[in-house]
Amino acid sequence: MDGASIQYRNREYSSKANSVESSKILSSTWSICPVCMKRLPALRVQNGSQIFLEKTCKEHGSFSTVIWRGLYDFNDWIRSADEGEGEITACPDACGLCNDHLQKTCCTLLNITNRCDLGCRFCFASSGSASTDPSLDEIRKTIFSLVEKDKTLLQLSGGEPTMRDDLPDIIRIAREAGVKYVQLNTNGIRLGEDKNYARELAAAGLSFVFMQFDGTDDRIYTKLRGKALLNIKQRAIDNCALSNIGITLAPTLVRDVNTHDIGGIIRFALARAPAVRGVHFQPATFNGRVPGIPGNHDRITLDELVSEICHQSNGLIRSDDLLPSACDHPLCGFHGDFIASGDKLIPLLKRGETEKNCCCGTSAAEKNREFIARRWQRPAVYETTGAAGNVDIRDMSVFLERVKSHGFTLTSMAFQDAGNMDFSRLRHCSFHVYEDGKFIPFCSYYLTGWKQ
Amino acid sequence: MANKKRLLCFKCNKELELKKTDFSYLGHTFFTEVPACPRCGQVYISEELVKGRISEVEMQLEDK
Repeated sequence: MDGASIQYRNREYSSKANSVESSKILSSTWSICPVCMKRLPALRVQNGSQIFLEKTCKEHGSFSTVIWRGLYDFNDWIRSADEGEGEITACPDACGLCNDHLQKTCCTLLNITNRCDLGCRFCFASSGSASTDPSLDEIRKTIFSLVEKDKTLLQLSGGEPTMRDDLPDIIRIAREAGVKYVQLNTNGIRLGEDKNYARELAAAGLSFVFMQFDGTDDRIYTKLRGKALLNIKQRAIDNCALSNIGITLAPTLVRDVNTHDIGGIIRFALARAPAVRGVHFQPATFNGRVPGIPGNHDRITLDELVSEICHQSNGLIRSDDLLPSACDHPLCGFHGDFIASGDKLIPLLKRGETEKNCCCGTSAAEKNREFIARRWQRPAVYETTGAAGNVDIRDMSVFLERVKSHGFTLTSMAFQDAGNMDFSRLRHCSFHVYEDGKFIPFCSYYLTGWKQ
Repeated sequence: MANKKRLLCFKCNKELELKKTDFSYLGHTFFTEVPACPRCGQVYISEELVKGRISEVEMQLEDK
């Protein structure tokens, strides 16, 4: 992680990228030097089948980061993206949102603690044990200042938010302030350890849980999180189910650690539907605490993830079931919407078909928020018309009941770091951290220089 | 009470009968029973159905 190794790696990437004759510039954007964090012009360059984000800092050399492996057509994937016009000179230093930002807030993230009971290899928040948490009164003021009544989706995050014993009070405050949906981002340990905890959070007004879930094998947890956690995660799922709290599994994907288990994670989640509402894949991002500066081998691009989902699910999911984000930039994520039916997934979206009705633009943030909520939140009460797999969802009434009770999403968010930061993407960000009265795009907030 | 009224086909003057009918939207097909003319097959889609279940199905299927 010292300067010398950075330079060595840079030269390695640079020479590799520039030596191939078939190199073709596709488009231009802006990025940063990952070492000094200065703004730099950047190019999206096709080299063979792969696409790289390339940039050169006069002081720190050239950088070439893979952004697409060429497994699907790049232009077809990003076709809907409005790149925005001109160079936004204030980006990203002036974040909170400025007039040049192209998207409204879909989800607001509020850090309520920096403490955590794990010491993960990867942690974009660099969470640890020593911290002074904001007081409950400070949090109350913050929540009342960020809320848009009956619209806000608030993610309580950290650190590990369940480290705070007053978490139920914070949820109650959020509801009192008019927050429409309260999401808990958690490692699931406390939910798994304490049977009554999920019930307590549900009673306080929690809408749904987003739980770190990296695989179906404890060797994965030992490598990534430092200890075996599968059993406690299963108990967390069971406890949420008892309190009717929807739970979505969020794997951080790290090459050669859990990328082989993508299909296993999907099957694990599907076997626990409708309690489990879906899987949200997050390819590892290199911000905060990371084991080292990434090489291109370490990068998991979106097309690679789509390909692995299809391959490892043995045909359960097809690539055109997964649509590029229309709310954020297409290179920032994808979503698939399904009904869980036994060990099958019935797709509701189809690339090229459903997108004709897509309402992109600024209202997409609101649409995205409602999509998340109606799938990740379990209906209060629902009637079941039969065992999974024994219902005919072509019956309009059955479909409407089933899509609410057994809706299942496969989604992904590809966060940016100092290597692949692309301001065209950043300008579309709808996922904002709230701090000091500002809504700050997630990847801008957590952006970490590699010399640190 | 409105749905208990007799409905007649404007063209055939035949009383409509409930018939399982397919509805297609964005590549999906669903069925439900709606009043249909036994002679010409024209169906009557009530405002209640349009503003209720049909609208809800559309919302669930449209991309976010």
